[in-house]
Amino acid sequence: MSGTRLGPRPGGARPTLAGGGGPGRPQGAKLVLVTAPWVSGIVRWPAHAGLGLARSVILLVASVLYPAPLALVAWVAWLTLTRDGRSGAYAVPNTLFLGCACVVMLSGPACGLLRLLVRRWTGITVADRYRPAAPIVRTPDGFWNGRRYLRSLTVARANQRVHRQLRDPAAWRERLALMAAPFAVGLVAARPVMSIAVGISTLTLTRSSARLGAFPLRLIGLLPLVLGIAMAPYAWRTAVRVLIWMLRPSPAAALSQRVARLTEQRDGATAAQAAEIRRIERDLHDGAQARLVALGLALTTAERTVDRDPGQAKALLREATATATAALRELRELVRGITPPVLAERGLTDALRALALDIPLPVSVEAGPGLDGRLDAPVESALYFGTAELLTNTVKHARASRVTIRLSPQPGNLVIEVTDDGCGNATLAAAGGLAGLARRLALFDGTLFLDSPAGGPTHATMTVPWTSS
Amino acid sequence: MDIVVAEDLYLLRDGITRLLESSGHRVVATAATGPETLDVLLTRRLDIAIVDVRMPPTQTDEGLRAALQARRVIPGLPVLILSQHVEQLYARELLADQAGGTGYLLKESVFDADQFLDALDRVASGGTAMDPAVVKRLLATTPPAARLGDLAERERSVLALMAEGLSNAAIGKRLFLSESTISKYTTSTFAKLGITDDTDTHRRVLAVLAYLNAPG
Repeated sequence: MSGTRLGPRPGGARPTLAGGGGPGRPQGAKLVLVTAPWVSGIVRWPAHAGLGLARSVILLVASVLYPAPLALVAWVAWLTLTRDGRSGAYAVPNTLFLGCACVVMLSGPACGLLRLLVRRWTGITVADRYRPAAPIVRTPDGFWNGRRYLRSLTVARANQRVHRQLRDPAAWRERLALMAAPFAVGLVAARPVMSIAVGISTLTLTRSSARLGAFPLRLIGLLPLVLGIAMAPYAWRTAVRVLIWMLRPSPAAALSQRVARLTEQRDGATAAQAAEIRRIERDLHDGAQARLVALGLALTTAERTVDRDPGQAKALLREATATATAALRELRELVRGITPPVLAERGLTDALRALALDIPLPVSVEAGPGLDGRLDAPVESALYFGTAELLTNTVKHARASRVTIRLSPQPGNLVIEVTDDGCGNATLAAAGGLAGLARRLALFDGTLFLDSPAGGPTHATMTVPWTSS
Repeated sequence: MDIVVAEDLYLLRDGITRLLESSGHRVVATAATGPETLDVLLTRRLDIAIVDVRMPPTQTDEGLRAALQARRVIPGLPVLILSQHVEQLYARELLADQAGGTGYLLKESVFDADQFLDALDRVASGGTAMDPAVVKRLLATTPPAARLGDLAERERSVLALMAEGLSNAAIGKRLFLSESTISKYTTSTFAKLGITDDTDTHRRVLAVLAYLNAPG
């Protein structure tokens, strides 16, 4: 899918994980066979088992990557201290320093590797929750001002990295998780491997020594072997689940992120509202208000001249009528921009039907059942103007011959899909109108998903939380 | 004519009543809410009703709904909808029963008293009166459908004016053509649209419907 993704697609795997939740569908082992289901099932089984085993081993190795060098350093320190006695004691500070450096600097890459594995295998992004770093800016004298004032950009970056690794609570939380990983993740992942290893060693042992009894007894090693192979496709998933649980942000970090996002949204909404009110005020002031003043003037003048010059009075009255018509027209346009009349009078479904009639393309509107209740006015309005924007985009850029708008209530959500048969290539570029639409929907915890490959068709999906009343 | 005025704003109701009475009509009843409107439309004997779209108690399309409901009970009951805005959606709903005797105009159309009273007469006698804004938007947005594609440029513009509810004489005046020329165009338009109805009023209503239903 060459679409641009902003927010999760309804019903699909969630691409980001704010906290908790299990892994999604595994994306490996895509063997496409055109046979009966049970045949392809049997054929696929060894592939699944092999893939599972490989992933188990990778998880085991990845989970010990961080503690292993630490253990090594500690072991070397112990050896030098016990073997070389007093001369060895001089080496202890160096070893200690090396150990501390390992503790601080290796956790980042180790966590990055584990996150990469989770993302590649399950499609779930477990975001890190480091505090945002201050930007490094160049000063006029050629120095770099980040956390400290330094001559070299590389050093400034390294300094910032070290500082974050030392001070960020999220980094220390990660280290705790990494120290526990060999047991919580590695051992869980290694169950099939260990089981198979036990099975094979038992089998070879019973075969080589005749003393160990009769034929059936020798096959006792088969049990762990079969168990291990049976477990192979699943064991790594449990381990990944544990891993996600361990790497996800602490509730406090998740909460502070949510607060930050809400603050940002509130600021955006307040600014947008203020701008909108200013626009309405300006439109009224320059338009209808001015025309009403002109109307009053014309009427007064007509009243003063009606006896003296009835002809001029009539002309003035005609002018007054024209002014009133113009004022009404401006007010009508203004009102339409605030709340389209049909939306206020009939609700979203009919408003979209009315909108479809005003578009110079054949537009069909399909509304699912259960949409009789009215939505909250702001949500209704956002969805209406969102659809209008998508339709405008289609008319302007897509060279489409027809458009379909589909409204469907889904459990907990209202979904509006706008599909055209045009040339595609629509994007959510940061400066574009569609990105603005996504931001406005985000105010209601809504999302915009855009699937628009080059050559078309374009399929846009707006989703907002909604429960039918 | 005996006229019913359904409008919730006192100033407008009063103004329209004064305009009508000053030109020799009789306002037999007024209504200020949706239910009142429905009641008056169903019980009073009237030549035409002037109804606002948005009305209390819900401040939604109560007036329009009352008018549509009354027309379902009394087919062809002449109703002229006066509104602050015109919508194709509502125009289609008004024309959908094909019974004629409907109008849909912006409120400021009363500024031109002669044209307004003319539209009133047309609707009362079973014709239609559509606001030019509705018709113009149709012209701007409707792609030539199969049937309308057969029409010549001139026939299309005559049809657009017919959709507004103008008579042949009035169309002729607008297009600077003689009435008989317009009559020729309307006949050829009816033929191309496959309308064979006898009475001229009904034929015109059907032509307008064919026009409005072109995109659907």
